[in-house]
Amino acid sequence: MRRLTSLLLLAATLALTAPAVAQVRAPDGAPNPTASSVNEEMLFKQDPKIHGRISIPNATAANLIQPQGREWREFRESWMPWIGGLAVLGMIAALGLFYFTRGRIRLEHSEESGKKILRFNSFERFSHWMTASCFIVLSLSGLNYIFGKRLLMPLIGPEAFATLAQYGKYAHIYLAWPFMLGVLFMLVLWVRDNIPGRIDWIWLKQGGGLLGDAHPSAGRFNAGQKMVFWMVVGFGLAMGATGIMMIFPFAATDINGMQVMQVIHSLIGVVFIAGILAHIYIGSLGMEGAYDAMGSGEVDLAWAKVHHDLWVKEQQAKTASGPQLGRGQVPAE
Amino acid sequence: MARMKFLCDADRCIECNACVTACKNEHEVPWGINRRRVVTLNDGKPGERSVSMACMHCTDAPCAAVCPVNCFYTTADAVVLHSKDLCIGCGYCFYACPFGAPQYPRVGNFGSRGKMDKCTYCSGGPEVDLSVAEYEKYGSNRLAEGKLPLCAEMCSTKSLLAGDGEMIAQIYKERVIKRGYGSGAWGWKTAYRETIAI
Amino acid sequence: MLTKRRSGIAGRGSHQALAAGLTAHTLDRRGFLRKSGLAAGGLAALGSLRLGAVRPAQAAGSSADPAQAVIRKNVCTHCSVGCTVTAEVVNGVWVGQEPSWASPINRGAHCAKGAAIRELVHSDRRLRYPMKIVNGEWQRVSWDQAITEITDKLQAIRNKNGADSVYWLGSAKFTNEASYLFRKFAAYWGTNNVDHQARICHSTTVAGVANTWGYGAQTNSYNDIRNAKTMIILGGNPAEAHPISMQHVLSGKEINRANMIVIDPRFTRTAAHATEYVRIRSGTDIPVIWGILWHIFQNGWEDKAFIESRVYAMDDVRKEVAKWTPDEVERVSGVPGEQLKRVAELFAKEKPATLIWCMGATQHTVGTANVRALCILCLATGNVGKPGTGANIFRGHTNVQGATDLGLDVTTLPLYYGLVEGGWKHWARVWEVEYDWLQTRFDEVPASAGRKARSRKENMETPGLTSTRWFDAVSLPADQVDQRTPLKAMMVFGHGGNTVTRMPEAVKGMAELELLVVADPHPTTFAAMDARRDNTYLLPICTSLEMDGSRTASNRSLQWGEQIVKPAFESKNDYEVIYRMAVKLGFADSLFKNVKVVDGVPSAEDLLREINRGGWSTGYCGQSPERLKAHMKNQHKFDLVTLRAPKDDPEVGGDYYGLPWPCWGKPEIRHPGTHILYNTALHVKEGGGTFRARFGTERNGQTLLAEDSFSKGSDLTDGYPEFTFGVFRKLGWDKDLTADELATIQRIGGNNPDAVSWATDLSGGIQRVCLDHGVIPFGNGKARANAWNLPDPVPVHREPVYSPRPDLVAKYPTRPDERQFRMPNVGFSVQKAAVDRGIAKQFPIILSSGRLVEYEGGGEETRSNPWLAELQQDMFVEVNTADAAERGIKDGQFVWVYGPENSSKAKVKALVTDRVAKGVAWMPFHFSGWYQGKDMRDFYPKGADPVVLGESVNTVTTYGFDPVTGMQETKVTLCQISAA
Repeated sequence: MRRLTSLLLLAATLALTAPAVAQVRAPDGAPNPTASSVNEEMLFKQDPKIHGRISIPNATAANLIQPQGREWREFRESWMPWIGGLAVLGMIAALGLFYFTRGRIRLEHSEESGKKILRFNSFERFSHWMTASCFIVLSLSGLNYIFGKRLLMPLIGPEAFATLAQYGKYAHIYLAWPFMLGVLFMLVLWVRDNIPGRIDWIWLKQGGGLLGDAHPSAGRFNAGQKMVFWMVVGFGLAMGATGIMMIFPFAATDINGMQVMQVIHSLIGVVFIAGILAHIYIGSLGMEGAYDAMGSGEVDLAWAKVHHDLWVKEQQAKTASGPQLGRGQVPAE
Repeated sequence: MARMKFLCDADRCIECNACVTACKNEHEVPWGINRRRVVTLNDGKPGERSVSMACMHCTDAPCAAVCPVNCFYTTADAVVLHSKDLCIGCGYCFYACPFGAPQYPRVGNFGSRGKMDKCTYCSGGPEVDLSVAEYEKYGSNRLAEGKLPLCAEMCSTKSLLAGDGEMIAQIYKERVIKRGYGSGAWGWKTAYRETIAI
Repeated sequence: MLTKRRSGIAGRGSHQALAAGLTAHTLDRRGFLRKSGLAAGGLAALGSLRLGAVRPAQAAGSSADPAQAVIRKNVCTHCSVGCTVTAEVVNGVWVGQEPSWASPINRGAHCAKGAAIRELVHSDRRLRYPMKIVNGEWQRVSWDQAITEITDKLQAIRNKNGADSVYWLGSAKFTNEASYLFRKFAAYWGTNNVDHQARICHSTTVAGVANTWGYGAQTNSYNDIRNAKTMIILGGNPAEAHPISMQHVLSGKEINRANMIVIDPRFTRTAAHATEYVRIRSGTDIPVIWGILWHIFQNGWEDKAFIESRVYAMDDVRKEVAKWTPDEVERVSGVPGEQLKRVAELFAKEKPATLIWCMGATQHTVGTANVRALCILCLATGNVGKPGTGANIFRGHTNVQGATDLGLDVTTLPLYYGLVEGGWKHWARVWEVEYDWLQTRFDEVPASAGRKARSRKENMETPGLTSTRWFDAVSLPADQVDQRTPLKAMMVFGHGGNTVTRMPEAVKGMAELELLVVADPHPTTFAAMDARRDNTYLLPICTSLEMDGSRTASNRSLQWGEQIVKPAFESKNDYEVIYRMAVKLGFADSLFKNVKVVDGVPSAEDLLREINRGGWSTGYCGQSPERLKAHMKNQHKFDLVTLRAPKDDPEVGGDYYGLPWPCWGKPEIRHPGTHILYNTALHVKEGGGTFRARFGTERNGQTLLAEDSFSKGSDLTDGYPEFTFGVFRKLGWDKDLTADELATIQRIGGNNPDAVSWATDLSGGIQRVCLDHGVIPFGNGKARANAWNLPDPVPVHREPVYSPRPDLVAKYPTRPDERQFRMPNVGFSVQKAAVDRGIAKQFPIILSSGRLVEYEGGGEETRSNPWLAELQQDMFVEVNTADAAERGIKDGQFVWVYGPENSSKAKVKALVTDRVAKGVAWMPFHFSGWYQGKDMRDFYPKGADPVVLGESVNTVTTYGFDPVTGMQETKVTLCQISAA
């Protein structure tokens, strides 16, 4: 990781170094251009990359040598597959372990089982699924940049793989925009309900109900969900920002900045994927009844009362006639 | 087989840009793509030197390593080439390349880069040598005709040397010994992990 | 996209369109052409192994048929180095360029321009067909219509205003044959108003050097610089202006561990390779040279024996030099005495030493004096006439030497025959035309403004208007222009409109012309200045790559270029256009009496043969087309350093490459040419020689002939005058002439055969016999340290007209106002007014100008070549970092450069750099198409606009002319710069 750190620190150091050339002078003090010519070693001492003047307007081309490319390569080829692999596979393994030890969290039936309460309206669900579907393609196409040639290419051959990767690249570039839009939508929709509070601390201390018997109280979103929210917003925006930098390369930064952007993008990317895997797990396989929230948008009132008791109370208080029932879904009794 | 390299003798380079236009001429490289360029260091001050730079055809080339579709290959002459059929224009090779060699034509909006283009050491690409398809994608294949890259062949002051690494290193050594100075083989340490000891 | 395309298009919409066009269409079209060549040609067998071991050539499958790819050799059209261009042609299409390994001049190499030269021929931006402007709109016309209308108008103007009212501006990019033909055409038209780019590049060199030792040309060669132990490059930037010369310069520097001293106001790409860089204030060359000589004389480092035997009046120089003590030199030029002492010692002691100069020395109001001082420095140290020494003058355009030689000049006929009766009669004999008829073609000039009237004969012998003043000759009151009427028509063949100083006044002059014809591969600035609504024609001329003909490189070598491909589009070559005009004007039969014309195209070979028949004075007599072609074929046989072929070679045995002039006698006697002028160590038959006895035999009791110095194997072992039949008779050498030769001499001499000289003897007998006696036909004289016929016989420092040091103007004023070349030169008044008005305070920055490697001359041609244009997309001004900081100017931003005349201003980008010293700015001179901030692209004929446009530096340049040649001052004026 030393290399990586140095890479990340690079942008900062670049600004601090100013060129100063040692000049060989003739006995009377006149400069001798031949003998005092610059050389690679001298320039590298002044600055980690060698850059000069070039007449074409492409400023990037004025860099003569940037050995940082090799460090970036080291990161990308030696570190990233491991980091990415560990993050993704590690999360899958952890979730598997959890599943096999704790099993699916069952819906606790009560008298209110069967009654439905609207948890997410259609626009909220649209935003979620737009973001989610983009995310899935983005993460697969993103992972393809790292693992495709290692895993997929040997299976399907270089031509088919290149075609796939090409479409993957287009998908990655074009779906980035609806993804970023979705993140912004969700931010606006849910930020009010995701402000952390004291209650989240209690929720966390109780491990969200996994530790001990009682279910901790939670509002519309419990602390775990808030963490997912803030992860999606934070990582989403970070991925968006770094991604835009790469879509418009050198618009705002130089080659080393671009490398840093790519490093951030890929590191966050794999962590993001791991986090979302957990989110997917808990929202589907891991917990009975949770999926409905984003599926139909309506959840079982019993489930809601267990997991989001404060929110249910709040919702019920809003409607004098008791729980707000879904359209055409009259309770059975 | 020879191990092809480039060596720019900066004590001869006068930034005349012949290498740049020779390349354009030989391969009909379009506006905006510069397979080769000349950078002037310490411009306007004593000690100023200019260096012509293109793909150095590195040993253990970083571009090849980072390519997500493994489109690079190294020829028997140690020339680093790539397949434009496989390239997806991701731009990673540019991040990895210490010499800024890869170039990308703009194809669509929001930066959908075209297939990467770079110096081929005048030796074409994976297609059949001297075929029309090869010329269209990569330019001409001088190596297959028994010639060296045109940039070096046309260099105004014989500053840019191309050919077998040991031979051009020898030529450079002899020059430095004869004239008594030399600012070194620019980029060799980074590209080939060696320098020319004199 | 990964490369930053937004900036790649330089912030100008036009480039964006261009970039799109290039990727989308042009490549396809050319790709197709190229492919067809590849598929058919294979091009396999052409290469050979070099430097490294390469895989053996593999043929391109069964389709390879090397026989279909034709190799044609021509000469690069971009500078005077004379690089061979090797073209691969398939089915009439120029598909590829290969290194010209065999050429001893470029040895495979090219600069950016040479390596991109194929595009000149293919360019989509060439002028495609003749055009004329009608009410401000360009219209296509046929060649017949264009020629008919032009010649009708010319004839009408001539009838009304006289022959001198038409200006014939030729080109340094002409072939020798076209230059000669153009000069001859002007003579037939009846005017001496015929000029070309040498006026604005090395006219002062030609005048200064010729007045020193005989011929106005580079004494040695680019290749010979490899022999030098010390070289001074003063006012030259060969790294950008003559890149291939740097192959020889840097090789010399390396092989001999030579001292390479660069003296220049600007730290150039050349200076970067110097062992010593001397920064001077622009325009103080004479103080610096005298400062060097001061140390040389002070320490007795001069070559006394050389001066004694081969130099006249060096003592006069000593007197002037004595004034230039180190303190005074430093006060005026800014150069410390110690540095000059070191330079002086190296130049005088580490011999052989050569002096290289270019337009930094010549383009001044003191240009001729500068050049003279440089020659004197060579003479004082004995650095002339030997390998590794000499005045290595790097000339500009590809054939500026040849065009000068062949008389595109207002003071001479072809080959420097003067505008005197003898000269005219010589050429009349060669042309087989009546001298009296020629005389009738010239105007009678009536008396005016106190000047006497001139007869036709006198007018025929009066130098014409210089190209630097053409617009003054249009606009000034008629009585100030000393000819029948001021100029009414400009015939511009291959000459930019932006290369002459004082553009605002040129635009005014353009508007007043009755007829403007631009014959050029490109429309040029003349077409884009929005000054004309009617009576303006553009004729598409092909490049010299598309025609046959010879070019003379700076080192006086002639190289034959063969047509590579047929002229593009509807373009025609110069020969044909001149022929068509001559037909309409009624003198074609006489003009082409000895020249075969096939399908309206005169034969280049016949034109050269005619030059050979008349070119005795400069030794252009031995270079027959056959010999020149043999040289191109056998290039590989010539030695890199001596330029000589082995003596036993059947075709070119013993020849110097390109038969550098003088190549004495008829081609049959096979003189090898003269690689190094005035080299007494060689027999004349081997290219040896002496200084030319051009200025008489004695002056003020001192001999002008050499003393105890003669060329090897000479029958005469002392100085001798030039040879005439009379001298021959005294020596008894007339017996060596053959009967035919004698008969010719008698015929030429009429009743005074004794006056027939080596230069007028059309039989070549005198030259042949001279060579047999080991003497040089032009005599064995002394070089002149005092050239008494020049305004300043011994060069003296004179401040520029717009001097940044008004405090020095009183002591070192420019020359008094006087009339030169039919025009007033009021430099003194302008200088005085500038001092009185405190111009140096309002415009505190010295503005100089110069070359970029990517572009050439006015730059229309090279800026139309996308391979070059991409590399320099913006006109710029180099501003010193301190000056920029004071003005809040950032690198790359737009600035206004204001000039002190005409309220002129130019909008350019700032290049903030220490290449220029504080208080100095520098601009390249290749741009045009913007004028005082306005983009003029729409004024070009559609599709013929160059890729890159920009302000011309000459929008802000100012008054100032050399008294000897009318050279303009481009290197020193004043300006102010502010952020735009």
